[in-house]
Amino acid sequence: MAQLSLKNIGKSFDGTDVIRDVSLDVADGELVCLLGPSGSGKSTILRMVGGFETPDRGSILIDGQDVTLILPEKRPTGMVFQSHALWSHMSVADNVAFGLKLRRMPRREIQAKVADALGLVGLKDYGTRRVWQLSGGQQQRVAIARALVLEPKILLLDEPFASLDQHLREHLREELRDIQRRLGITTLFVTHGQDEALALADRIVVLQQGDLEQVASPDRMYRAPETRFVAGFIGSMNFLACDMRHGRADHPLFPVEAPVADGPVELAIRPEALTVAPARAPQAKVHRTTDYGSHLLVDIDLADGTRVKAMCPPSARFAAGDGVTLTADRVTLFRGQKKLAEVSPRPARELSHA
Amino acid sequence: MTHTSSSGTVRKGGTAKRNGRGLTGLLLVSAPVALLGWLIIYPIFNAVARTLFTAGDEGLHFSLDTYQRFFTDGYALNNLWLTLWVTAVCAACLMAICLPLALYLRFAKSRVAAVVQGLALFPMFVPSVILAYALIRTIGPNGGVDLVLNAVGLPKINSPYLTPWGPVIGLVWDNIPLTTLMLVAGLGGVSDNAVEAARDAGARRFALLRYIILPQIGNAMLVVLSFTVLGIFSAFTLPYVLGPASPEMMGPFMQRTFSQLSDSRMAVTQAVITFAICACFGAFYVRSIAKNREARR
Ligand SMILES: Nc1ncnc2c1ncn2[C@@H]1O[C@H](COP(=O)(O)OP(=O)(O)O)[C@@H](O)[C@H]1O
Ligand SMILES: [Mg+2]
Repeated sequence: MAQLSLKNIGKSFDGTDVIRDVSLDVADGELVCLLGPSGSGKSTILRMVGGFETPDRGSILIDGQDVTLILPEKRPTGMVFQSHALWSHMSVADNVAFGLKLRRMPRREIQAKVADALGLVGLKDYGTRRVWQLSGGQQQRVAIARALVLEPKILLLDEPFASLDQHLREHLREELRDIQRRLGITTLFVTHGQDEALALADRIVVLQQGDLEQVASPDRMYRAPETRFVAGFIGSMNFLACDMRHGRADHPLFPVEAPVADGPVELAIRPEALTVAPARAPQAKVHRTTDYGSHLLVDIDLADGTRVKAMCPPSARFAAGDGVTLTADRVTLFRGQKKLAEVSPRPARELSHA
Repeated sequence: MTHTSSSGTVRKGGTAKRNGRGLTGLLLVSAPVALLGWLIIYPIFNAVARTLFTAGDEGLHFSLDTYQRFFTDGYALNNLWLTLWVTAVCAACLMAICLPLALYLRFAKSRVAAVVQGLALFPMFVPSVILAYALIRTIGPNGGVDLVLNAVGLPKINSPYLTPWGPVIGLVWDNIPLTTLMLVAGLGGVSDNAVEAARDAGARRFALLRYIILPQIGNAMLVVLSFTVLGIFSAFTLPYVLGPASPEMMGPFMQRTFSQLSDSRMAVTQAVITFAICACFGAFYVRSIAKNREARR
């Protein structure tokens, strides 16, 4: 249906650069998540695409047409806000019908379209309700129906489920994903929750302080983070500081080998990449275990005082104070923000057999 | 935690404590209620009674003679009409001036808006008498405006001083700050997101105002209207200083009837009629607000 391009977008507020230099292409029918901590400029980018802010530099193209200076009322985008965006003096159906009425569509057609849109978000019989009679989740569904009924080329959502509780959020997320797939609508979704981004997105854009940190599919983003920031921001990650000497890390537990220049590095290891085994000559001590049912999360204190998290199968039995050894399947090395290498060290056990 | 436990002890403390509290509450409420009765309710009934009963040879007897006199006296009726006219014109002017101003203050994001806000509030701190004097010096005969016009060789203005427009100008000026403040407060209830969502749906300025903003500030406008209507209806200083001698507005009319004609019963009758009109408006106001509240529920 539609393709969106941001070309070298920049924006400052009161002299500070909020968006530095962002370029992004969103393919037809793709759902892209803008993910980043609060204040990283996600909303600003979305609002520029919607026309509510004008970029200071760069241009925005929809289907190859430059829309940078087109007002929001004329832009082929539909926006869903975080909250308080429904018009409380109108009924649910009137909220959805408003844009169609402005377009002077015949009444029959409006009614049919409104019914379709409300059906799409599962609120078929709610047309005559007042907005304040709806729950938070229902209100956001109405907001989505209101944006979709105008058949925008690009759907924009700014943390639409952030004010809902966890359970509802997950539910609505799946519904939105289904609707988006069914309509094949190009979508830009802003969130600060990495689980939301991982669950929804075809591609994730991680932002930090107005810069693109990494653009990748959810599994790439999780398994192959390109910067230390992404590594720490997506999922949980253990970081262990040490030094490289002659291609070998001087960490007592993880003396990984990598073709890396000498100097300080950080070893980044996912909890699920750590294998914990009981040991007679312990390198580390169990601090606490948390049973999540599907897995066991074990907090482990290393000899130097750092604490790491390890994910174990639910059958594992550890008690606080147990001595353990640790092995890592997969280690990423960072120096500063930069990724230096990714290694899969041979398990220590095999090493001792050799 | 502490909260629940403390409420638990209160409950355990039993009814004696709660009665004590109830008594304190009653005492606290009784003071304002007593004041209300003494200073407002009683005078109203007293005034109404004074106009309805006259002292004759054989004691008090019921009579509507002052009301009859008022409503058959062309001059008195003219005064009432003038007051209603001034009130309506002022309310219309205030809306026409303050609504755009409030919209600007609410939605403009520039630094200029802060300056405008300051300027708009300034008249609130100027006493009416000084304001009246200043207006006479500017738009009165041979006032500032005339001097300027004369200097550039233009004819004098037809001064509104001592015409019905005199008090209109003064009252509008005097009421701009409060009206603007109340409208800005009302507009504060319209969320930015709601406005942006409307723009996103394709609403331009006019549609935005007509279908989104105005319907959402209905209550605020009602409050503003009642404040201006009640205030202007009973205004004295500005109509007295700036207004025409005949017909005159109800405020000066009452005062003159009382002090110059020494017809206190007639003056009270005029006051009661003014009060009745204001009360009607007040009732309408309370009903609309209540209806809006109910619709929200
Ligand atoms: N209208 C504005 N005026 C001034 N600063 C703004 C404005 N909008 C956003 N900012 C600033 O821009 C930065 C990014 O904001 P935003 O895009 O809302 O972040 P996010 O949505 O990622 O939390 C923040 O530091 C914020 O203070
Ligand atoms: Mg935001």
